[in-house]
Amino acid sequence: MMDNLDDLFASAQAVRMQPSDGLMARVLADAVAEQAVSRQVRPVVAVAQVRRVGWLASLAALFGGAGSLVGVGSAAVAGLFLGFVQPDGLGSVADLWAQASVDQVEMIPQLDALLAEE
Amino acid sequence: MPRDTLADLADEALVVLYANGDPDAARLLSKRLVPKVLGFAGRMLSDRTEAEDVAQEAMLRLWKVAPDWRQGEAKVSTWAYRVVVNLCTDRLRARRRRRAEALDDVAEPADGAAGVVAGMIEADRIAALDAALALLPERQREAVVLRHIEGLSNPEIAEILQIGVEAVESLTARGKRALAAILSGQRVELGYEGAE
Repeated sequence: MMDNLDDLFASAQAVRMQPSDGLMARVLADAVAEQAVSRQVRPVVAVAQVRRVGWLASLAALFGGAGSLVGVGSAAVAGLFLGFVQPDGLGSVADLWAQASVDQVEMIPQLDALLAEE
Repeated sequence: MPRDTLADLADEALVVLYANGDPDAARLLSKRLVPKVLGFAGRMLSDRTEAEDVAQEAMLRLWKVAPDWRQGEAKVSTWAYRVVVNLCTDRLRARRRRRAEALDDVAEPADGAAGVVAGMIEADRIAALDAALALLPERQREAVVLRHIEGLSNPEIAEILQIGVEAVESLTARGKRALAAILSGQRVELGYEGAE
């Protein structure tokens, strides 16, 4: 009987319920109605605009937009620059704000100074 | 977009076009999907009116979800079959509930597989198959119809039924064995007696 089942399945594939004209008309009427509702509440998105979002755009979105990302990046670069250069006026500016003395510390001592100590 | 260009597009692209207001996209999607969902619902419910209602509802859900369709996640037809499975499950449950409530007031539906006469023509054989399918447990019937009549692959069926591929294989195998057992008593009526 298992072999005959495959014959029956093959016959059943050829004989299936076909949609009536009435059903197709109802389905299309639904489609038109939903399209009208959707167009009222949503902006149209062009097919060409349906594209993958790049990693840079994702990063910018994380910081609240490209403008914020540029600001955060600039602040990071400026901080790094000041850390390396340590301008002389930095201590006096810190005094002015903190009302306390701030010693400048040389984080990367010169090599010849180390050699002189030996 | 011209119709002949639309015909080359995948279902997914048509859904995006529909969401953007293209009226021909809806027509083409309906032409492709309604026969599939109706055929499947018809085999699950054995009732044309109910099957048409399910097909219309499944398509309505597609129209509603179109603006939010997430491309690349699932094939449109797979999604539609999954909706039909859920709608048919609800209707079959409601049918069982009504039958239980009616108790003995209503006679059990005639067992088409048992009442067939000798010398069946092709349509009667298919009617016997449909009647036998109706006797299978719901999950087995879904798996057997999707695999052997709708012609879907096991991974697709697994996605539709939201189970593993091995579970699909087990369901179809058990379903076929059960169908063979149901129909084996009607070999003569089905015209298979003496065929071996």
